[in-house]
Amino acid sequence: MRLPALRSFGPTIWGIELFIIVLAGIARWIPDFLLTVLIQLLIFAALAYSLNLITGLTGYVSFGHVVFMAFGGYTLSFGVSALSLPPVVGVALGAVVGLALALGIGAVTLRFRGVYFAIATLVIAVAALRLVLVINELGDGQGIPLNIGFEPLSWFYTISVILAIEVGLTYRITHGRIGYGIRSIKSDEDAAKTVGINAARVKLFLYAMSGLFAGAAGGVYAWTTSGVFPYAAFDLTFSLQMLAMIVIGGMGTLLGPMLGAVVVNITSNYFLTVLIGFQYIIIGLVVMIIALFVPEGIVGTLRKYIPEIRGIIE
Amino acid sequence: MADATLFVTDLAFGLLLGCIFAVIAHGLNLIWGVAKVVNVAHGEFIMLGAYGAYFLNLYLGFNPLLSVPIDAVIGLGVGVLFYFGFLHRELRGKESMGLQSEMVTLVATFGLALFLTNAAQTLWTGNNVGIPWSPGALQIGPVQLPLGGIYVAIVAVAIIALSHAFLSKTYLGNAIRAYSQDIPATQMIGINPTFVAAVGTAVGFCVTMAGGALLTVWLPTGINPSLGNLYAPISFVIVVLGGPGKMWGSLVGGLTLGVIINVGQLFLGNNISLAEAIAFLTLIPVLLLRPEGLLR
Amino acid sequence: MTRVLEVSGVHKHFGGVRAVQGVTFTLEEGRVVGLIGPNGSGKSTLCNVIAGMEKPTKGTITFDGQRIDRWPAHRIVERGIAKTHQIPKPFLTMTCRENVAVAAMFGANKVTKPSEALETAGRVLALVGLEEKTNMMSSKLTVQERKRLEFARVVGAGARILLLDEIFAGLSPDELRDAIALFTKVQKEIGFGALVVEHVMRAVLTVSEHIVVIEEGTKIAEGTPREVVENPAVIEAYLGVEAPHAAP
Repeated sequence: MRLPALRSFGPTIWGIELFIIVLAGIARWIPDFLLTVLIQLLIFAALAYSLNLITGLTGYVSFGHVVFMAFGGYTLSFGVSALSLPPVVGVALGAVVGLALALGIGAVTLRFRGVYFAIATLVIAVAALRLVLVINELGDGQGIPLNIGFEPLSWFYTISVILAIEVGLTYRITHGRIGYGIRSIKSDEDAAKTVGINAARVKLFLYAMSGLFAGAAGGVYAWTTSGVFPYAAFDLTFSLQMLAMIVIGGMGTLLGPMLGAVVVNITSNYFLTVLIGFQYIIIGLVVMIIALFVPEGIVGTLRKYIPEIRGIIE
Repeated sequence: MADATLFVTDLAFGLLLGCIFAVIAHGLNLIWGVAKVVNVAHGEFIMLGAYGAYFLNLYLGFNPLLSVPIDAVIGLGVGVLFYFGFLHRELRGKESMGLQSEMVTLVATFGLALFLTNAAQTLWTGNNVGIPWSPGALQIGPVQLPLGGIYVAIVAVAIIALSHAFLSKTYLGNAIRAYSQDIPATQMIGINPTFVAAVGTAVGFCVTMAGGALLTVWLPTGINPSLGNLYAPISFVIVVLGGPGKMWGSLVGGLTLGVIINVGQLFLGNNISLAEAIAFLTLIPVLLLRPEGLLR
Repeated sequence: MTRVLEVSGVHKHFGGVRAVQGVTFTLEEGRVVGLIGPNGSGKSTLCNVIAGMEKPTKGTITFDGQRIDRWPAHRIVERGIAKTHQIPKPFLTMTCRENVAVAAMFGANKVTKPSEALETAGRVLALVGLEEKTNMMSSKLTVQERKRLEFARVVGAGARILLLDEIFAGLSPDELRDAIALFTKVQKEIGFGALVVEHVMRAVLTVSEHIVVIEEGTKIAEGTPREVVENPAVIEAYLGVEAPHAAP
């Protein structure tokens, strides 16, 4: 993939990357409590962007995405505790595991359309939890705790790098030749094949990328939560949150996942102190309303009704 | 001989379990067959049915079996609401759901699932509740089976059979089946597609909530707002196994799953998790090799 | 070197239904061959098999001597054989220009720069007379215009053998005359070979140099338009009885 000339980058990608770079630049002066909030936001943004790569771009709804995040977390935890690897290496390995898993799962499930794909991914996530429970090396159902202290700066830099690469990759994919192929597949997959698009390969590529980044984000998440515990790691709520973020922000857009992450995270943090679970009532309602009435999400709807914005926000 | 007894007991348990699985999946099957949509919030309606039976028991002392018809009626109303809330817009005037509409429904019902699970959690807390009804056990030779489970299995099969009779023997039922096969054709013979689709959906929810009520017998201490997270995937797998829209598919799929889990764990060193994992994963080869389901 | 498509003893069975039973013919780049036959004779199925959307139950299909009958559809397009859809399937969320550009990017020519493909698309659209609709959303086109977009797409894909599934259907006599003229012009200019699957006799007999007639899955006649039209077996297939004056 050749890099296009810098001046051809749009305002949105500039905006997001600058935002991340600036944050990273001032990170060491940000107070710890704020830093941890930001870290969680960035992790969830990374997860949202990963789901966006497959569900947002192709319309293949993946309910089981938590699988990649969980195995990323397990990889990191195992790598650090059993193999004494430095955490950053563990995260990188988590990415590799996520990639490999996605290739394997995608090769089978991407043959299924629509609803069947969604159900297949869900079932795999449910089965994966049960499989992990019985494997001894993976903590035998008890999880793998980590003896790592509070390292907000390391966490922050790691997730910033991951997110920056991920957003850049999303931009490159959607703006290049393959972006047209993806839009064709989303529009009419059968017709896409009749103009020479290898739909299977495109979908698998996107799914693999999404698994890679979800695995990396999952690794960082485990790092920040001092380990991985099966029922928590494979909690379907993560999949739901990821989906909510891209639906609210705007599926397939560049800014959408970030916006969605902000919305979901702010409501979560606000309501965490009020009533546990209440934030999801709001989020669930919002998702319903958006899916039924404004399916393009925030960014998509803005672009649809305000033509002037189209050149700026994507 | 102890091994044989264990095997037969597990097999019988698996069949009984399979029946309850079947009835809670059956509602999904019906809606999938009629409106060709998958309700991601299916598990949540099972949960609501279970809570319905719980509260009927708590405040009115109703036996869960008695709650079944009450929940069923509530389910009818809920189904109509659901139809007009989620499905009517997408189905109206169209031959079938396009891929775009399918996705919209998937996402919208997913939002509904989130909403319902957490509303339930806020209202009723996440604590496990249940109905302490234990009618004892039945001894058949060396095998001991829970009477509650047997009653539930009988009612479950009865519900499925009733729905089958409704769909094949009544005028309305046949209209619903015609609708599920060919929407324009039903219009041409004077059937109001909206009415038919709404009724079809209502019947689906009716069965679902009735199934939820029955579930309380199997889970005397296990009713909580998250139970949808477990029973929704189970239902999906069952419907795919049996074949979406196939009347007896729910029973076939349910029994298969129930047996795999209960008998499978016997051969896997009493490892229920592993048996469950395998049971769930049967979805994949079925989708790959026989996507219409096991039933011919 | 002229490229040659050879269909050899191709059968296609769907369970008990034998849609295509042992059809053999050849199609060369630059030549237009018509494929006609009564309804249900297997023409569309045969087309789908050639294009890779279905796999033949028996028989072989070779292109330039290379067997393509087991290939996936997209690979066959990359090779240079593209098919239009009987009911047009444009990419509704994209403009006409983008529709054709996609074909240019992923078809036989595999154009790498989107900007280049978009430009080529503009030229192709002008060639088929859709110039005014170039930057319009394909969802806004009429059915006839969509058919032309289908045509533009396979041309844009750089196909050297086009499989045209009833592109002359549903046209008024004036529209038909224009469509035939357009097709002939484009075909001469670009020089592709084409298999024209048609019901509209006037069109297919006019544009084709060679005709293949299929009935119930088997080839019953082959030859020049005049030969075929006067062939008693063909007349019988269409009319069921002998009718000496069936030619238009």
